[in-house]
Amino acid sequence: MMSLFEAAWVIARRDFVAQVYSRSFILFLLAPLLLFAFAFFVGTMADNSDRLANQPVVALVTDGGTAEALAAARARLVGGTSELAFPVLRRVPPAENVAVQARALLANEDEGYSAVLSGTLARPVLTGPLRVDESSGPRVMLIVDAARRTAALEAAGVSAAGAPLVRDVTDQAAGNLQMLRRVIAQGGQGLIFVVTLMLATLLLSTLVEEKSNKVIEVLAAAVPLDAVFLGKLIAMLGISLVGLALWAGMLALGYTFVQILQDWVTVPDVAPAVGWPIWIVLLLLYYTANFMLLGALFLGIGGQATNIREIQTISMPVTLLQLMVLLLAMTVVGGEGGAAVWTAYILPFSSPLAMVAHAAQYEALWPHLLALAWQAVWIVLIIRLSARLFRTTVLKSTPGGSFFGFPRFGRGRTESV
Amino acid sequence: MSVGLAIEAKGLFKSFDGKPAVRGIDVAVPEGSIYGILGPNGAGKTTTLRMLLGIIEPDQGWRSLLGHERPLEAASIVGYLPEERGLYPAMTTREAVAFMGALRGLPLEIGRKRAAILLEQNGLGDYVDKPIKSLSKGMAQTIQLFGTIVHKPKLVVLDEPFSGLDAINQGRLEHLIRDEAASGTTVIFSTHVIHHAERLCERIAIIADGQIRFEGLVAAARDRLRPQVRLKTRMAEGKWRAALPAATRLDGGYWHFELPRGGIEPLLKALIDGGAGIEELSIERSGLHDAFVAIAGEQAAKELEADMQADLGEAA
Repeated sequence: MMSLFEAAWVIARRDFVAQVYSRSFILFLLAPLLLFAFAFFVGTMADNSDRLANQPVVALVTDGGTAEALAAARARLVGGTSELAFPVLRRVPPAENVAVQARALLANEDEGYSAVLSGTLARPVLTGPLRVDESSGPRVMLIVDAARRTAALEAAGVSAAGAPLVRDVTDQAAGNLQMLRRVIAQGGQGLIFVVTLMLATLLLSTLVEEKSNKVIEVLAAAVPLDAVFLGKLIAMLGISLVGLALWAGMLALGYTFVQILQDWVTVPDVAPAVGWPIWIVLLLLYYTANFMLLGALFLGIGGQATNIREIQTISMPVTLLQLMVLLLAMTVVGGEGGAAVWTAYILPFSSPLAMVAHAAQYEALWPHLLALAWQAVWIVLIIRLSARLFRTTVLKSTPGGSFFGFPRFGRGRTESV
Repeated sequence: MSVGLAIEAKGLFKSFDGKPAVRGIDVAVPEGSIYGILGPNGAGKTTTLRMLLGIIEPDQGWRSLLGHERPLEAASIVGYLPEERGLYPAMTTREAVAFMGALRGLPLEIGRKRAAILLEQNGLGDYVDKPIKSLSKGMAQTIQLFGTIVHKPKLVVLDEPFSGLDAINQGRLEHLIRDEAASGTTVIFSTHVIHHAERLCERIAIIADGQIRFEGLVAAARDRLRPQVRLKTRMAEGKWRAALPAATRLDGGYWHFELPRGGIEPLLKALIDGGAGIEELSIERSGLHDAFVAIAGEQAAKELEADMQADLGEAA
């Protein structure tokens, strides 16, 4: 007898082979690379433009000693924070009338000064519009204060250099560990989200091919629609796992290559609460669950569309839905309970994302058994609902058969050529 | 299960958006027969076949397919060629046929071997590894037909199989249908082309406006009309004229009338005794077309004719 899963396997095998041997699969494999390249490009451009355009420049119209003291103070402050945290100080030799010079500098569009700092450390003068009091003004004052403190200490014969720090190294710090585990949790959620997002349109449009080719009638006459839906989901899952394996392999290779170049190999010293091996297994299981849940829903929705244009129209609300689910699941990261966290655990669509974060932060394993069983039930329900919706609205038929009854359909013959 | 029936259906009813498409259809298809469902487009043929196969569920009624009330349970021994042909364009012909077999439970390897044999036997051996998209419409249709029979089903259901085919491919298909029936397979097909049903079928169902108007042997459908007599006489008038039936008409020098209930002998005697001078006399059995007009009505016959003309145009 041919079971539902055997029939689904026939569909899955066809879809998998067709997809893997298509040109679009190369693009799919390159997608993360393009995504990273895009992010890198945008990040670099944004960084550069920030530096060039957004960092305020303050003209330093003081005597040489004051200017040097201020520059040294700024350098110390920047060393503990970042270059972008403090305005750039650019020295301008003072003219006879500093007040007039300051206004002239502020009016010069080519130089682009935000403010002018003049006077001495004892009596600094900041010239500029009111806005400066809320932006670069307070930070300029931090520099001035630091310079004054240094000058005072040196005047008293005390070294201005910081006290030498004695480091006592421990394996971990609880706060650090929690923070890094939250990063792992968010990383797991992000990975699942991004891969599912990349496949959403493919899932939405997968039944359009069968409808436009009229193959759906051939399939519907031979196997239950549940098997068609399940088969398509398995194929897409297989395709995504091939992609994941390839990307993970490339990342691992790249990481190892960099480590070898540096002549030493390290592994991260922070592990998820359940440990790396179990977490990776859980990540794959929750990825599968998330994919099947959203995939079944998208197949159901996409099955209603008649062409690619309709799919494109549906894509946007579907992406927004995925984002909302991610945002809900993110409440689990660092969350201590509450309605939102429990909703994230229980709601079938956010449950896998929430639980992968849970695994990174908490050691207990039994909630995962419960969650996976819960998600499996919903996968079955959504596939059945989607198939029945398709049968009713597209094939114009009453669903037929019990919602909870699973079809078996027979072969019962041995075959020879 | 009814013994000896491949398909049995009673009181099938289906409406779409409140509009009845099929209204209380009864069908009984004997095992091993070639059975035709004849009717114009929109009469309910496809809906009936789809209900019989379980693609759609009837609103009312009952059906049994090879003894299974849930048709999918018999999927592995049924082959189906839908009206709207469906193939994956990128698949090779061999893979397409094997895939359709696999959907019916045939192992892929065996399906591939049988596909190659079927293609070879039908003069399409050069196309074994060609993608479907590179084939002509007729060839693609033939490939799908191979996919319908590759798993050696006990029942083959063909929805408008001749539609869009040229004369050569139609002949090939007729041959294939006869071969299948000869090997014991039950074949049921829908058509709006009368001569296909007349040439191939032992039994037919005439369907019009969602209802079965006739169901039985082709000969029985023809027998709904009396045979027509065509007579040419040397003499135009005479006492023998009284022996001709009242509804006799003269057309092109020939007398036309239905064969009298009492047979031809009393009439012959009256003609000879009356000195009519018989030059020609023929008794012609009614064709299925005339039977269709008599059974389904003029309107349905006109629609059928229009469908046939449209089909000829498409094939050309």
